[in-house]
Formats: sequence, C-alpha cells, structure tokens
Amino acid sequence: MHLGTRIGRLTIGALFAGGLLYAPTSFAGKSNDTLVYASDSEPESVSPYHNDVREGVTLARLAWDTLIYRDPRTGEYRPMLATAWKWLDPLTLDVELRQGVGFQNGDKFSADDVVFTFNYVVNPESKVVTKQNVDWIKSAEKRGDYEVRIHLKTPFPAALEYLAGPTPIYPKAYFQKVGGVDGYSRAPIGTGPYKIVSVALGKGVKLERNANYFKDSPRGQPSIGKLEFRVIPDHETQVAELMTGGIDWIWRVPPDQADALKANPKLTVVAGETMRVGYLAFDNEGRADAKSPFKEKRVREAISYAIDRQAMVQNLVKGSSHVMDAFCFPSQFGCQPDAVRKYSYDPAKAKALLAEAGYKDGFDAEIYAYREREYAEAMIGYLRAVGIRAKLNFLKYSALREAQRAGKVPLGFLTWASFSVNDASAMVGVFFKGGDDDFTHDKQIIDWLNAADSSTDPVERKANYAKALGKIAEEAYALPLFSYSSYYAFTSDLQFTPDADEVPRFDLAHWK
Amino acid sequence: MIAFLLRRLGLALAVAFTVSIFAFALVRLSGDLATTIAGPEATSAQIEQIRIEYGLDRPLWQQFDDWLWHAARFDFGRSFFFREQVANLIAGRLPVTLTLGGLALAFALALALPLGIVAAIRPNSWIDRLALVLSVAGQAMPTFWFGLVLMLVFGVRLRWLPVSGTGTWRHFVLPAVALGYYATPAIMRLTRTGMLDVLGSDYIRTARAKGLRWHTVLLKHALRNAMVPVVALVAVQLGFMLGGSIVIEAVFAMHGLGYLAWESIQRNDFPVVQAIVLILAVFYIGLIFLADLLNAWLDPRLRTP
Amino acid sequence: MSSVPRPLPGTETLLAPSPSAILRTRIFGHGGIVIGGSVVLGVLLLALAAPLIAPYDPYVQDISQRMIPPIWAPKGSWLHLLGTDKLGRDYLSRLVYGARISLFIGAFASALSGLIGCALGVTAGYFGGRIDAAITYLVTIRLSLPVVLVALAVVALSGSSLEIVVIVLGLLLWDRYAVVSRAATRQLRHAEYIVAAQAVGASTLRVLLSEMLPNILNPLIVVATLEMAHAILLEAALSFLGLGVQPPLPSWGLMIAEGKEYMFFSPWVITIPGIALFTLVLGINLLGDGVRDLTAPENRN
Repeated sequence: MHLGTRIGRLTIGALFAGGLLYAPTSFAGKSNDTLVYASDSEPESVSPYHNDVREGVTLARLAWDTLIYRDPRTGEYRPMLATAWKWLDPLTLDVELRQGVGFQNGDKFSADDVVFTFNYVVNPESKVVTKQNVDWIKSAEKRGDYEVRIHLKTPFPAALEYLAGPTPIYPKAYFQKVGGVDGYSRAPIGTGPYKIVSVALGKGVKLERNANYFKDSPRGQPSIGKLEFRVIPDHETQVAELMTGGIDWIWRVPPDQADALKANPKLTVVAGETMRVGYLAFDNEGRADAKSPFKEKRVREAISYAIDRQAMVQNLVKGSSHVMDAFCFPSQFGCQPDAVRKYSYDPAKAKALLAEAGYKDGFDAEIYAYREREYAEAMIGYLRAVGIRAKLNFLKYSALREAQRAGKVPLGFLTWASFSVNDASAMVGVFFKGGDDDFTHDKQIIDWLNAADSSTDPVERKANYAKALGKIAEEAYALPLFSYSSYYAFTSDLQFTPDADEVPRFDLAHWK
Repeated sequence: MIAFLLRRLGLALAVAFTVSIFAFALVRLSGDLATTIAGPEATSAQIEQIRIEYGLDRPLWQQFDDWLWHAARFDFGRSFFFREQVANLIAGRLPVTLTLGGLALAFALALALPLGIVAAIRPNSWIDRLALVLSVAGQAMPTFWFGLVLMLVFGVRLRWLPVSGTGTWRHFVLPAVALGYYATPAIMRLTRTGMLDVLGSDYIRTARAKGLRWHTVLLKHALRNAMVPVVALVAVQLGFMLGGSIVIEAVFAMHGLGYLAWESIQRNDFPVVQAIVLILAVFYIGLIFLADLLNAWLDPRLRTP
Repeated sequence: MSSVPRPLPGTETLLAPSPSAILRTRIFGHGGIVIGGSVVLGVLLLALAAPLIAPYDPYVQDISQRMIPPIWAPKGSWLHLLGTDKLGRDYLSRLVYGARISLFIGAFASALSGLIGCALGVTAGYFGGRIDAAITYLVTIRLSLPVVLVALAVVALSGSSLEIVVIVLGLLLWDRYAVVSRAATRQLRHAEYIVAAQAVGASTLRVLLSEMLPNILNPLIVVATLEMAHAILLEAALSFLGLGVQPPLPSWGLMIAEGKEYMFFSPWVITIPGIALFTLVLGINLLGDGVRDLTAPENRN
C-alpha cells in the first residue's frame, strides 16, 4: 500500500471521527425558543450554598425558590414558598408555608424540606461557602406539615432580607437519595421556574421551563422555553459570539465595547446600576509580611489619597457608577457615606504621608486582583506616581479568596455585591465583624457591628453602623473605590430588564 | 525486531516514570496539601486529621508510590475546586483536545505534504517560493494572534464559521487551522529536503533510467523513503499540538484539556494540572513509540541501530 | 569569526577573491540575511536608544487621554503618533520600551538554554556510551513535557515576573541545542585536531572548550536564533494567558494580550504590537536561515 493513501485514509478517518463525536447542536435565539447567555466564570458547584459567584446566584434564582420574595422593582416583600411570617420575639420567627407546591421531580414541598435545608446549611459539616448568609440561623423546627419555626442566634433584623435572597430551599428526600451535595450538584432539583437539565462542570448549564411551576408564584410564570448558560471566559469571544448570533445575552460588557455595540441595530445595550462595590483591601494585620507597610495607618491613608477614583469613574468605569466613601453600598440600610471621612485625590499629600511613615523612596508591593485588569493597572499607575511600585497578580476569584484567607494578599483589589442583600450587614459585616473574611479584627468595630446587627431599633442600628463605618474610613482599613455599573448587551428580540441587585432574572424575560 | 521493540518500550516506560515524578512534585510544590484540602476555615487539628486521613504524613516516596499506582489506573484524586473526580473532568475534556489535535494535524499534512513535494520537484519555482514564504510567516506568527485574526475575519466579518465553542465540526475548523498552521513549516521543510535527497540519490536515477514512469518513481520509491523522517516529525508535532492547544483552546473557548489545565492553574487546582501534564506527556511518549515502530516498518535499516 | 568552510586560503589561486570577500558577497547576496539582519539590528537599536526615541515615559498614564487612535486614523493626533492605550499611555513609547523586554527575553532565555543544551549535548556527543544514553533520555523527558503548560504551571507557582519567565523558558528550551551539539560533536570526535589536542595532553574540558566548541558553533548559532524567536513567541503566549510578564511592563506579547479587549472596535491596539512581534521574529528566523545557508552549503539546493 502506498504511504500516501495510508496517510490520506488516516486523515479522512480523523475528520470523520471529529464529525461523529460532535453532533450538530441548535443555534441560539428566538427561533427555537432558547436563550443562550454567557458569563466569564463558573460556579465550582451548582448547589447554591456551595458557591459564591454571581453565576451561581443567577442559577439559584432560576431553579430554586426562597420563602419570601422581594420584588426587585418595588423592594416590597411578598409571599413565595411562605405564605405568612410572624416574629414571636427577636429570636424566633414563625413561618407558614404554601401548600400544593412541587419540586421539579414531582416531590411535594413541605415543612420537612425547609427544616432540612436550614439545619443542613448551618451544620459545619456541610461546608457551605456562603456562611455569612446563614450564620444568623440557629436552627429550624417543624411545627406542622406546613409550619416552621426558625430560631436565631442573636436578634437579626435583616433576617427577612436574607430569607428573600440567598436561602433557597432544597428537597430533603431527593437530596438524601442522591447522596448529599456531590450527587445533588450534578443533577439539582428545586421548586423554581426553571429546571436544570444538565450540568457540564466548567462548561455550562442547560435549563428548561418548569411547566408545573406553581400558579400563585409572585414571580409569575416563565415565558422562555429553554435557557442555556455557557461559560466563555474571554470577553472578546463573548462579544464575537453575540455579534454573530451564537449567544443572545452577555453582561459585564466593558464600557468601551458597550459604546461600540450600541451601534449594532440587532443588539440592545443597557446600563444597569449594581450593588457591587470595588475596594482595596490592605493587609492591616501584616499577615503576608510582619513588616508589611500596610500595617502603618499613614501608608493606607497615602494610598487612599493617591488614587484618583473620580477620574477612574469618569473614564474607565463609566455608566452610572459613583465614587464610594463608606464601606457599603449607599442603598443598603445603615450605609451612611456622609458620616465618614473622605479622601480626595491628592498625590502630594500621599507622598508626604509616605515620607512621614518612613517610605520616602516608596516601596515594592504586590497587588492581587481577579477582575477588571485595567482598573488594577490604572491603580498601579497611580501608586507608581507616588513611589509605590506595585506588581499585579491576577488570579481567579476562588484562588484569590483562598490566598486572602491564607493571609498571602498584602494589597487586594476586590469587589463585593452583598449577595444583593439591601442591608449594610451584608457588606461591612462580612469583612469587619470577626468572621472568616475579617482580616482586621478591630475589637471596637466588631462590637459596634454586633450591636448594630442584633438591635431591632433602626435608629440604634444606624448609629452603630455609622461608628463602625466611620472608624474603617478614619483608619483607612480598606479603601472603597466605586460602585459598578454593569452593561448588558443582548439580542433585540429579547425583552429583558436588568435589576440593581445584579441578578439577571430570565424568568421575567420574554421574546418580543 | 522483538529486541528493538522491547528496548523502545522500556525507554518509553522509563520516561513516563520520570515524568510522573515531575508531575507529582508539581502538586507538592503548590503548597501544603492538607491545608488546601481542609479548606480555609479549618482548624489546625482538622488539618492534622486530614493529613493522617489522606496519608500525607507518610514519607514522600510512599505517597508517590501510592499516587503512581492510582494514577496508573486513571485515578487522579479529587479536584480542589470542582466537587468531582479529576478523571471524570478529564474524560469530559479529552475528546475535544484529541479532535482538535487530529484535525490540526490533518490540516497541516494536507497543506505541508503537497507543497513540500511540489517544492522539491520544482525547486526555485513559484510554488517553492510560496512554500518558503508560508513557512517563514507561519513560524513568526504567535498562534493566539493568528487565531484571533481568523476569528475576526471568518467568524465575525464573513460569518462563515462559528466563533467559539465545540458544538459541531464547524466549530473546529478555525482552531484546527490556527493550530495546524504552526506545525506546517516544519513538516513542509522536512518533506522538501527529504524528497530532494531521495530524488538526487542513485537509485532514483537508476529507476528513471530503467524507464519507469515518473509518477511511479515519485510515489512508489521517492515518497516512501522521503516519508521516513517525516513520520517521526509528525508524531512529535502531534504531541506538541496536544500540549500547545492550550492557547488555541483559550482563544476559541473550547473546553478541552489544555483549557482545563489553564483554568486549573489559575484556580490553584493542581491535582488537575498534574494529571493533565502526565496525560499529555504519556500521549507524547506513546506517539514517539508509535513513530519508532512505523519507522522501523518503513525502513528496516532502522531496526538495528 | 570565520564562517567559511574549511578549504584553506593557501590552496586557492592568488587571483581568486579572498575568503572574506566571498563571505561578503555571500552575505550581501543573500536576501534573507540582509533583511533579517537589518530587522534585528533595527529592533536592537530601537531598544538601546529607547529613552532617546520614546516621546513619553511608557509608564505614565493619563486616563482622560485613553484610546487615542494612531496618526493615520481620522481622529489621530500628532501628540501620540501611534495613539494611546487603554490607560492613556503613549503607545509608541510603550512599543519602543517593549522592544527591550522582548529582546531581553529572547536573548537571555536563548543564552540560558544554550548553556544547558550545549553542555549536555557536547558531553553526550564526546563521551558517547552510557553518558550519551542518559542524556538522550533526559532530552526525551524534556520533549515529552508540554512546554506551554509546564511553563504556565511553574510561573504560576513561583510568581510571574520578567526574571522568572526568562529562567523558566531558558530551562525549557534547551532540547534542540542538546540534539544539535550532540550530533555535531559526534561528527568531530575523531577529527585530527581533536585527537591532536588530546595527544598533547590537554584536559578534556580544554579540548571541549577550545577545540570542540568553536568548531560546532555554526549550527549552534542557527539554533540560537530559532530558540530566541521561540522564546519571544512563548513569552507572548504566556502573557496572553495572563501568566507572562506582568503589567505595567510593556512586553509586546502583553501589549497584544491587553489590546485584545479592543480588537473589534480599535484593531490597531492589537495590530501594532502584533506586527512588531511578527517582524522581529521573522527577522530573527530569516537571519538564522541565512546563517545556516551560508555555513552549511551542502544544505543549499
């Protein structure tokens, strides 16, 4: 046999194998009632309590329901899986559950599921990632088939807000049948308007409309037949796919691209405000390096003066973003930006402070970041101008979180969106109340925050938050940078409204 | 022949073993495993417990021994990031990379062999010069840049082919071209020099003098002999392509092995990286072993080195 | 350095052109060498004279002046000939300083791997036997490791900086040096002057360094150019994947990676460094090819 033909056959064989392996799939869009949306990162587990990325929150809201529903547009609390709730005392909440709701596999929803879910997530063995969202719960107790009592550890006025957000209800029987979270995250089931039909780790998730979604849901009935979540890490690839109709919806579009995409008549570009706040985290305790310059207040102040946040907002972040002064999002209860010390852009003052602190010639530093490389680079530029030679370490969020908890991050450019919870406890509480992510351990602040979170008196709460936020700014424990505005770009066939809490609600979207 | 086979096989196994030491070291260098597995909020007692549970308190060589036997059965442990076995993750990604590598090689051969042969038959013709330009340009372009340009032109502007993903065979066209093009110059040059050497040799002249038809001489004698070094090179190139597809997979958002490796590196998920390094290396070792066999079959002189 | 193959001057007639003249004609008659050489020389000059040529400090940003297109575009400005990048840094200045970094990476990575590869290759070729087998085995191991992946992993573990990237690339790219120097050494092992040097009692190291190395230098120069180009491309790939040279250093690979975000709407951001990189690598390759053609005439057709 001739070698030429042999090679030819091999070639054809390879081509053929390639064709067979990949059966054609359908395209995105209105024509086949499939909304394909893309995002850059993926949840490490689809189980809502076992990831803390937005993509996970989005899925959680699509496939699961919570006890209470907070109307994203009016802010009002409405019954969802719960029909009524009542505080017996600041530590006890009684909840009445809705009857006739089913999980997507046909199992009936009842008090057992709620009790199971809450007791499961507060158990340290469950290794939930979103501890800060559930650690106010002490336990849940069944009072009847459709009655549940929730016990709190300490008074927690924001409880309803959490029950209306990051606390979806799991199916007890199914969860146990599939052998716990590992099996569950491969084929999860909820009561939500969409059913997850396939999970390809790191690649994406496919969902279908839940035809049996309960009639009285405050969310109404879903309209679009199929959803597909694709993980495309590269923004340019996302944009290219969107422009060519390969996908229908993207978000976090960089402002420059958003401006350019507006010119495309087939696409709709909208800017949405978000609760996401960018901030610089300093190694206040010198965990990365005992001689860390960031232990020195004047250095942190200097950095706060060195960065022109206003210019960054105007030229880089754009949209509806604002400079942030307090370590929280202004719409959150208790957040009082006017009550804290403000740092204006003043490189001369920054240099003077550095010199005073003994860093006349500046110093070398490493800055860690996980999103918006160019914002990080802009800050590196500003730091450079006052003599701080920062080097960028760009990581995935999970790796950065790990590095930070391990005390390896001297300077971090981080962001926090408070799980869309409209209460200051969801941001300042996470990073300054002595929890896993508190890297400051300021006793005074911890006390104030505990007082604020457990008081039922709004005035007292506010006063305590003001003190805590005031000290954070005064000591420059962290530098709040700016709020984010998110640009959404999607096919003009789609009717979609972004919400400030940065949860895309595809269950409320429909084709035009 | 058997001795030759055994010797080659022995070498392949020895190399694979050494690579496995390297892969093992890679994870051990990434930080304290017990701490990573235990998770950030674990107490030091919990960490110690995990250290004992996972056998991380044993001497390194014992741990290596243990790991190697598991790895030989495709058990690479668990991913630190995903709640999943590494082997399952890899099984889901391998077909993409293999298909991409295979198609890229097919493209490279389809371009390089004819050009190389024609360039050898007609040296200094316009085809020879075109081949030269293509090969020089091919080696000077970063693959990711070429991939981006292909995406921009054929995906976004002309819309002939999909931009990213792995849904259909059409998704593989642009990445395969971008990846294969980089391997083209080497194969083409070797085909050309091989053909030139053979065509200049005495027995081809004899064959022609005997009045055999030109294309018979060309295909039956010249090509077969010129292909000997090319086969080895092709195997090497395929190995490189599987290892190098990481960049192309990243550009075209193809969820293959390389892409998984890249993501895992960024997530500090080194059990996955370790397994992929090992698998790609074993692929390469297997390929050169095959190439050796193929060569020995094509050219019996090589059997007694 | 003499690149002329062995026929000694004395054996030629007096009327024949001198070897250096032959060399000169060859060099200047060879298109590849002329083009490649001038490109490399040009980039080298650019790099050396960067502070003189660059109109601005490549690190100084002004984010109110970002994304100004280059001079030939409708909205271009004479203040920034090649425009500005996403942070308002002058693109020409970054390109000029970037030449330094790309050349530095190419030269040092290639030199480091040359050192390793030649040491191994010459040893293997000269001693043969078990040493040769062991070193061949090392080369196979090295070849079986996927370069990009291993480089990424090692850089990720040890922190990415210019020095680390250069060292990692240097430690990974020695295989071709080893193969070529081994083959060349084997050919010369029994050459007269080597045997003669051994006979007069020169130490092995001396024989290898002063007799062997100079005589196998030509093919190694070719490999050096190839590996230099290879290292520059690999650094670009690493930077593209986010684990190469870190900002704000302006390596050309990093500039492409950073410009990628704007490629649909401001293609020049990725085109300019892309062309610069392409030209440099092309120049190095042409130069290498040319040197090979000149020094190994039997390979010419």
